[in-house]
Amino acid sequence: MLSTKFAIPDIIFGHGSITHLPQCARRLGAKRVLFVSDSGLEEAGWVELVKGILKANNMDCVYFSDVNSNPRDCQVHEGAELYEKENCDVIVALGGGSPMDAAKGIGVIVGNGGKISDYEGANKIKRPLPPMILVPSTAGSSSDISQYCIITDMEREVKMSIISRTLVPNISIIDPQILVTQSRSLILAAAADALAHAIESYVSKLASPFTEIQALKAIELIINNIGPAADTKSIQAMEQLSIASTAAGMSFSNAGLGSLHAIAHSLGGICDVLHGWVHPVLLTSVMRYNMPSCMGKMAQVGQIIAGSRICPDTRSAELGINHLEDLFKSFDLNTELRHLVPDKTMLESICKTATNDACNLTNPRLAEWQDLMTICEEAW
Amino acid sequence: MVMDQTTLTDLIGIEHTKLGFFQELQKTIEELKASHEESESQRREIAAILDGITDIMMVLSEDLRIISVNHEFEKLFGKEDQFKGEYCYKVFRQSNKACAECPAFNSLSTNTVCKDIATFRVNNQNRQFEMIASPLKSPNLSENRVLIFKRDVTLEKEYQAKYYQAEKMATVGTLATGVAHEVNNPLMAISGFAEGIQRRLAKYGDKLPQELAEDFECSTQIILKECNRCQDIVKSLLSFGHPCSSVFHIVFLNSLIEETIALVGFHLRRSANIKLTLDLTNNLHIKADEPQMKQVILNLLTNASDAIGEAPGELIVRTYPKDQDWVVLEVEDTGKGIDPAIRHKLFDPFFTTKPVGKGIGIGLSTCYNIVKDHHGEIEVISELGKGSKFIVSLPSHP
Repeated sequence: MLSTKFAIPDIIFGHGSITHLPQCARRLGAKRVLFVSDSGLEEAGWVELVKGILKANNMDCVYFSDVNSNPRDCQVHEGAELYEKENCDVIVALGGGSPMDAAKGIGVIVGNGGKISDYEGANKIKRPLPPMILVPSTAGSSSDISQYCIITDMEREVKMSIISRTLVPNISIIDPQILVTQSRSLILAAAADALAHAIESYVSKLASPFTEIQALKAIELIINNIGPAADTKSIQAMEQLSIASTAAGMSFSNAGLGSLHAIAHSLGGICDVLHGWVHPVLLTSVMRYNMPSCMGKMAQVGQIIAGSRICPDTRSAELGINHLEDLFKSFDLNTELRHLVPDKTMLESICKTATNDACNLTNPRLAEWQDLMTICEEAW
Repeated sequence: MVMDQTTLTDLIGIEHTKLGFFQELQKTIEELKASHEESESQRREIAAILDGITDIMMVLSEDLRIISVNHEFEKLFGKEDQFKGEYCYKVFRQSNKACAECPAFNSLSTNTVCKDIATFRVNNQNRQFEMIASPLKSPNLSENRVLIFKRDVTLEKEYQAKYYQAEKMATVGTLATGVAHEVNNPLMAISGFAEGIQRRLAKYGDKLPQELAEDFECSTQIILKECNRCQDIVKSLLSFGHPCSSVFHIVFLNSLIEETIALVGFHLRRSANIKLTLDLTNNLHIKADEPQMKQVILNLLTNASDAIGEAPGELIVRTYPKDQDWVVLEVEDTGKGIDPAIRHKLFDPFFTTKPVGKGIGIGLSTCYNIVKDHHGEIEVISELGKGSKFIVSLPSHP
């Protein structure tokens, strides 16, 4: 039994907690903030709001928004250059996984120099990063909690996983109000990602009691709130989802993920698919593949998803997976891989790349690239 | 890109933590210390190099205030602290405004390296310095600065002057000796015949009318007296002919002056406009090389009468004792005075205000050297349009 570790940032949670951003930034020594976000949040008005509160507190704000879904190495380098050129001190990111990961990448380059690809893998970062405050705008990626940073290497068409405890931001400010401006499809994609985080980290080889409890809680909250959140954007449901996503983040940051995320990363690198859309397609297939190695846990997950009943573990697990499939379909989410991958011949290279991803390490059942192919075939 | 295989232990990262700036700070402090030590040793090396330079070195601000100086400067003037922020011309010239020909200014305005030569009084001695001013224009300096090197070339200049002097004296000496010998023969003849006439007068004087005899007597006396005077002049000319063999004797200063005046007296007396006044104190002994000292006096007298020129004026020669150990010779004129702008060049060889052909500018520098050889000092006080006073102080010899 390996010793485990549980590390999370300072988490500030609550309605309107975004207003604490200036004082948090000041505590980290901010005079000139590099503010990373994207166009979606500009349209929703959140960018202006953050700029406004920084300005009102006498802090300069250098804005960087050249980030797209699946942030790219070149964008990270550009952001780092801007940080250097403008003499910024603290990095603030507002957004989903992409702006937050971009901000982390910028921090890595600012603190350590070189190219972002130099840090691919685990614990390659040797020097501290500038202080970071991350403000999630989706209840999904939980990059604001995790030690993961996923950046696309454009040349190799690979989504690199950069893993380091120093990538855990200094402060995460979670304000559920920011979630209400998301579109329905974004809410669903983010919730699917959070659910995948919870389930994968729960059955992960590195799961510990401290991560398991977070994972189970997250699964429960997502199953109960994903419907109302997508349909009515009820603020209560949103709040529950952001609690769920944060809990899932605490879990996967410390316990790791599995083959699903390995495939999702390589798929994102090669086909530039929105990360959240991969999970409704592959989650259930990966769960079925993993079942033999973690039947008890899968049954527990099944009980939470499909409601508890007295039956054998295998049955519980099966029921849960089937229920999950129906749930995705009920939201009109695409569950077929063929709609994400233009050409079936690409699968082999996608799966081979996925086996190199660090996420594949913690999968409860050993998965070679051929095994991943089987999973993909099933979901085709 | 080949990656090391990531392991589960890597993902747990027990020994990895959010990197704080504490270690980074410590590392930075270490690095800073190292680089500080490095730059400190570089600084020391440069300082050692600078202190090894035997020239006086100063860095001046644009308004000629001293910013920093080197070891050599401190040796000559004293510690740097008391000069920081002081005006350069105040330190070197005790003056309240910048020198007209200041090389530092030239260097700044033309942005080139400028050279100049000047005489400064350092520790009550006149020293000649060759100055090199180079502009220090640097983008990271708020204002321009000038780097000044001052090199003591007194000795070199002295040797140079001595060389020219020796050459000149050799020429003059040969000429004088030649002329003296040539003049001596007719003089001998004249005095011989005059004496012959006198002998005859003594013998046959009574054969002549009384009045005529007395006339002859008187005339021959005058001829003999004038002949003797001519012989004296020739003798003093001859003594000029041997300048190199400086032999120091104890001499009366006044007799030197009188003999020299006898030489130039003709010229002085001829210019009716100059009133020559002697204000001499008796019994002043000095240890001097007679011909050389005479040359100094001759030079000063000639310069003084040149300064007076055609206008009516007065030339005063004074001697008096100063303190216990000094004897002073002053040559004062009421001539046109010396322009302050050129005063520092007075004792430079070949510096002359005289029209071409009238002088080559060796006089005062020779004087300076001779006086120095006599362990004396020469200085000048002058007011433009009012006149000048050259003061030669010599060690007295009781």
